[in-house]
Amino acid sequence: MYNISSSPHLRVKLDTRSVMLNVILGLLPVTAAAVFFFRVPAVYIILNCIITAILTEWLVLKMRGVNPLSNTSYGSLKDLSAVVTGLLLALILPPAVKWYAATLGTVFAIAVVKHIFGGLGCNIFNPALMGRLFLMIAYPKMLTTFYEPFSVDVVSKATPLALYKFSSQFVSLKSLFLGNISGSIGETSALCILIGGIYLLLRKIADWRIPLTMFGVVLAVTIIMGTINPLSGSLFFHLLSGGLLLGMFFMATDPATSPVTKLGRYVFGAGCGLIIIIIRYWGGYPEGVMFSILFMNALTPLINRYTKPKRFGER
Amino acid sequence: MIKLNEHKEPQHSVTSQRYLTPNKVTVFMSQHLGSPAELIVKPGDEILRGQIIAKTTGFVSANVHSPVTGKVLKVEYAKHPILKHAEAVIIGPDYTKPRVNFKPKDTIKFSKEEILNIIKESGIVGMGGATFPTHVKLMPKSPVDTLIINGSECEPYLATDCRVMLEYTNEILKGVEILAKLLDVKTVIFGIAENKPRAIKLFEETIENGKYDFPLVKIAELNAGYPQGGEKQLINIVTKRKVPPRGLPMDVGCVVHNVGTCLAVYDAVYKGKPFIERLVTFCGDALKEPKNVWVTIGTNLKELFDSNILEFKTAPKKIICGGPMMGIALDSLDYPIIKGSGGFVFLSHDEAEVPETPCLSCSRCVDVCPMNLLPNEFVRAVKAGEYELLEDMNLIDCMECGCCVYSCPAKIPVVHYVRMGKQFLRNHAVKEKK
Repeated sequence: MYNISSSPHLRVKLDTRSVMLNVILGLLPVTAAAVFFFRVPAVYIILNCIITAILTEWLVLKMRGVNPLSNTSYGSLKDLSAVVTGLLLALILPPAVKWYAATLGTVFAIAVVKHIFGGLGCNIFNPALMGRLFLMIAYPKMLTTFYEPFSVDVVSKATPLALYKFSSQFVSLKSLFLGNISGSIGETSALCILIGGIYLLLRKIADWRIPLTMFGVVLAVTIIMGTINPLSGSLFFHLLSGGLLLGMFFMATDPATSPVTKLGRYVFGAGCGLIIIIIRYWGGYPEGVMFSILFMNALTPLINRYTKPKRFGER
Repeated sequence: MIKLNEHKEPQHSVTSQRYLTPNKVTVFMSQHLGSPAELIVKPGDEILRGQIIAKTTGFVSANVHSPVTGKVLKVEYAKHPILKHAEAVIIGPDYTKPRVNFKPKDTIKFSKEEILNIIKESGIVGMGGATFPTHVKLMPKSPVDTLIINGSECEPYLATDCRVMLEYTNEILKGVEILAKLLDVKTVIFGIAENKPRAIKLFEETIENGKYDFPLVKIAELNAGYPQGGEKQLINIVTKRKVPPRGLPMDVGCVVHNVGTCLAVYDAVYKGKPFIERLVTFCGDALKEPKNVWVTIGTNLKELFDSNILEFKTAPKKIICGGPMMGIALDSLDYPIIKGSGGFVFLSHDEAEVPETPCLSCSRCVDVCPMNLLPNEFVRAVKAGEYELLEDMNLIDCMECGCCVYSCPAKIPVVHYVRMGKQFLRNHAVKEKK
């Protein structure tokens, strides 16, 4: 008796685990930058979030009555998706975040945002971003207090975008590019994010359409705003600062929470870019990447519905 | 469209051999698309090679001939690679009797109707795998201006199209000549995949040097990947025309025939030989060496191993009738070769033996779907039992090419769910009628 199964009988090598592993690889440069710039606190935050994510995932899968180490219809520890969520959340937290806040945010991301909605692939919102939003509401002061890299005693220092927004000061572009600025631990080094992001695009792990339109819209509006008001900051300042790069490569391209249609992904990216710009220029917050992506996450089912591709041969 | 690891060598370079003296043949009444042929012989009858043993029973149907001279042993339900069980005639060959040689016909004098009739009588069906009766395609209901000859063979492993193109170039072109005349087309386009450079070169040279009565001829080198040999995809690639959903090639003025079919048409018209033999590729890593073998229709697969035509290197884990993308996995070797058997792939490992994991909505299936459907939604609807959604999702337009399953990192057998959904829609339609 030979194996029988429905055709096709060939499979690509890539599986969920290797997708997640590639995302982790893509995050390695920026993780290294986080540790380099923020030293021991960054190490604590990253380890805290990853370990909490793994433990929470294990516990929730147990509670759902499946073996966390086997392939289940809710996901598995082996697929490494919990590690990705934990690492992503760590990278968007400020260096001064308290250990209990990081832990709580991770538990919320995995247990509530991911598993209550069905588990791997079923979540509506990006778990890491939702975890951060939760912490912003729970600990508003802690989540908006940043400090400069390498500082021995913690002296709070506003992020470049906050400096620009509330006191019209600009940080040098070189610092923005390399990451020698205050900010969330994984958002400061544009260089390292670009390396990881381009790796993901080249390996075809992340789709290029979302970063393209997201970056494009921010670029276009910044150029227009720059011509209208030359004091609104240089082009590169807006493109390199805040969470734009990390968000567009690693958060907006999260497959579960972005549209499946090609046209939909252009729309999704453009929508993210537009909301970022609106919040940055006219909103109450200095930065809007988190809100923009979460907002577009909510619109994803709708976008999918209205951007259905035409069947082959259909007029 | 996707790029697959083609595994075409060494089959592409293995010269065909013959095994035309089977110990027993099992000939099915149904080995074509359409209604099964009607049996006209009974057990005990002495029959000749090439004699019609079952007649067409409708517009879309094909005659079935005896591939050997011998005696009808019995009529029974036998194991069929596609239909599971189907009515078949078991014939015991008698090689002591003189071999029937087919007489070439002086076809120059024949009218179009007579030639069409020869093709119909010869039981020729499409050799590309779908086994649609060829004569039906030669009677299009709307005007046709382009004849496309399919030499793409985009399924990995299979090599019969390549071999017939290399070994029977002149015969194929003669066959194409007949088809072009019957259809009265303005253009003939050969679509040959770039992985068969020798075939492309040979066709270019032969057409240039030979005297063929063709209208405008073009050779298109295909490089789009799998499934570029699908009828609608091929038409789109070589003519830029798009067959409408649920439409036929003739709706956009095209007819597509496989190169193997052209050879069968040549054999029928010029040699008077009905469709009783075909070239079959046997390959895969479980075989000692891959082979392209001319076999009589009805030869049991097992017999090819018993007579040492084929030998195993390692025990196979999976045996596929057809190519690995759309072929059917067989549970044993005990299956007869039918008109549509283009190849058998013997694999020592089974890539499909992987657990299904949750869908990530990564959209790879959507991106690769050649019909622009949303395979992820099919799976969701079938799993949730929301069958009424399937019609609006155009499930019927899925041709089950398998690109989505191949590309899926979550290893979801989408095509399996599609088949479940289609089965439901069929049952539902029957209920509605009642």
